[in-house]
Amino acid sequence: MGRYIIRRLIQAGPVLLGATFFIFATVFALPGDPVAALAGDKRQDPNIVAIIREQYHLDDPLLVQYWYYISGIVFHGDFGKTFAGVPVTQLLAGKLQVTLNLALVALTMEAIIGVLLGLWAALRRGRATDTAILASTLLLISIPTLVSGFVLQLWLGVWLKRVTGTEFFPISGATQGLKSYLLPGFVLAGVSIAYLTRLTRTSLVETLRSDYIRTATAKGLSRRRVIGRHGLRNALIPMVTYLGADLGSLMGGAVITETIFNLPGIGFQLYTGVYLREQPVVVGIVTILVLVYIVANLVVDLMYAVLDPRIRYE
Amino acid sequence: MRKTSLDTLPAEGGLGDEPLLAVDNLHVEFATRAGVVRAVNGVSYSLRPGETLAVLGESGSGKSVTAQAIMGILDVPPARIPKGEIRFRGTDLLKLSDEARTQVRGQRIAMIFQDALSALNPVFTVGWQISEMFRIHRGMSRRDATAKAVELMDRVRIPAAKQRVNDYPHQFSGGMRQRIMIAMSIALDPEVLIADEPTTALDVTVQAQIMELLAELQRESNMGMILITHDLGVVADVADKISVMYGGRIVENAPVHDIYQSPAHPYTKGLLESIPRVDLKGQDLYAIKGLPPNLLDMPTGCAFHPRCPYRQDNCVTDSPPLYEINARRGSACHYWREVLDGDQG
Repeated sequence: MGRYIIRRLIQAGPVLLGATFFIFATVFALPGDPVAALAGDKRQDPNIVAIIREQYHLDDPLLVQYWYYISGIVFHGDFGKTFAGVPVTQLLAGKLQVTLNLALVALTMEAIIGVLLGLWAALRRGRATDTAILASTLLLISIPTLVSGFVLQLWLGVWLKRVTGTEFFPISGATQGLKSYLLPGFVLAGVSIAYLTRLTRTSLVETLRSDYIRTATAKGLSRRRVIGRHGLRNALIPMVTYLGADLGSLMGGAVITETIFNLPGIGFQLYTGVYLREQPVVVGIVTILVLVYIVANLVVDLMYAVLDPRIRYE
Repeated sequence: MRKTSLDTLPAEGGLGDEPLLAVDNLHVEFATRAGVVRAVNGVSYSLRPGETLAVLGESGSGKSVTAQAIMGILDVPPARIPKGEIRFRGTDLLKLSDEARTQVRGQRIAMIFQDALSALNPVFTVGWQISEMFRIHRGMSRRDATAKAVELMDRVRIPAAKQRVNDYPHQFSGGMRQRIMIAMSIALDPEVLIADEPTTALDVTVQAQIMELLAELQRESNMGMILITHDLGVVADVADKISVMYGGRIVENAPVHDIYQSPAHPYTKGLLESIPRVDLKGQDLYAIKGLPPNLLDMPTGCAFHPRCPYRQDNCVTDSPPLYEINARRGSACHYWREVLDGDQG
């Protein structure tokens, strides 16, 4: 098991290197001049422009620039600076926390709502409840975050506050603790809730058809125990896989949600970074996201071995 | 005082003339997209303590469905039991509440399934699965229940039971897995054990061992056993009597020796003749011609008539009742006398 984990972590190296280079090159290829954009409409002093270009190696070829960036990280632990001179690590420290909070709130909502709805649909298979749940998940999948975000902001944030006089769901910023994350968390989780609901339903329906479920019934166990203990335990395996892999998607998907709800997370920062063509910021954020994916996938694979005794890693 | 549902549970003890288990005119049908499938059409059989009844028939004959109806593990719907009784110690199980039925299931009537690999839960240890019977039904602690599980594994002769109690089903061989299935089913000393093709998935040598084990366990506990099989070879040594099923009906009932000596139904006769025999080596093996009936579109009259060498005109129109040959034998064939005499049409 230990050797397996080490091997997987070593494999992560080339993946990270490839991902960073790809993103670095993509930002490099973006049109427009980042330094010119710094000053907006004002005229710039050519000397200062030259100094900035020199300092950030903007006139060097792509590979040389990339080498400066990577060697800075590897040899000096330096993840680069923004054009305003702030180290990227410092810039992202607090923002990562915001995005992580948002993703975890979304993941929790997804797990609870998705599993419960899926379970409900599976147990009412073929009846009205099942059809209603399946139809609403389809609806949920079809609505883009861009729409659901603004609509819920208006309904639950603005109108509900106006009608009741109390603010249940803040619509902007991350200043009110968990409460600030409820609405954006739900918006972010929306599509995932729908997928997990469907996955849970299918997985459980499949499991409940198994021979060992018939055995459990023949043992004289209650229906609750047959489904809850013998069924759910087996149905859990694909569900855990999806949830684990989804943590990465949620953090990546936070870009739109954070922008709508004005949350100071890395998604919002990524948007700004791309806009300003700040390579170190963009690459730094994407690297973090890739890392989250890799670790989440590793944890999922390790969970397999715990959930399914037939799987062993060597 | 109002009776609770549990009060109607059949009591243990002396039976008098009443059989331990009696299936009476049982009908089971399934609603499918293609129409109603009548899987069981008026099956009756009975079982006494210590007795072994073999139910013989090919796939789709209704033998397993009857067993599942006795256990109460049919999926309802699509299954439906429009007619019939299943009396356990005189109480009709079909009239019991779900709760009372659950008390019978597994504790007083237990079942062994065909493929132990898929019938055992892959994610729990075998010890956990056996001991669950004691934890749930007897309220034992985890430790006591596990000790009981080891005891049972010893009893079904699994080597090094104590070391293997925490292994998972996939870590056992096919024969050992079936032993675990058996250990689980006899955990609470059931009065009736239903074995649904318990040896079909096993090697021939292992088959014999499992049948021997079942026979031995039965002798020790005097339980009644229903052995469902399509293999006449398995039946001869262990069964007391045989019911042969075809197209959802019983076509022949007889003590085991009578049936081997002189079958009274053309289908039984065909089955016996299709067993390979050493003294007929080199000759073509006999096969019953034609295919099993389509349950959606049963032949008129006797369901076996399209395949029957004894067929007469009235077989196509009149469904034969189960004719009584003597007190212990019956045959659902208009021409059972001719079949008994071996005089082919």
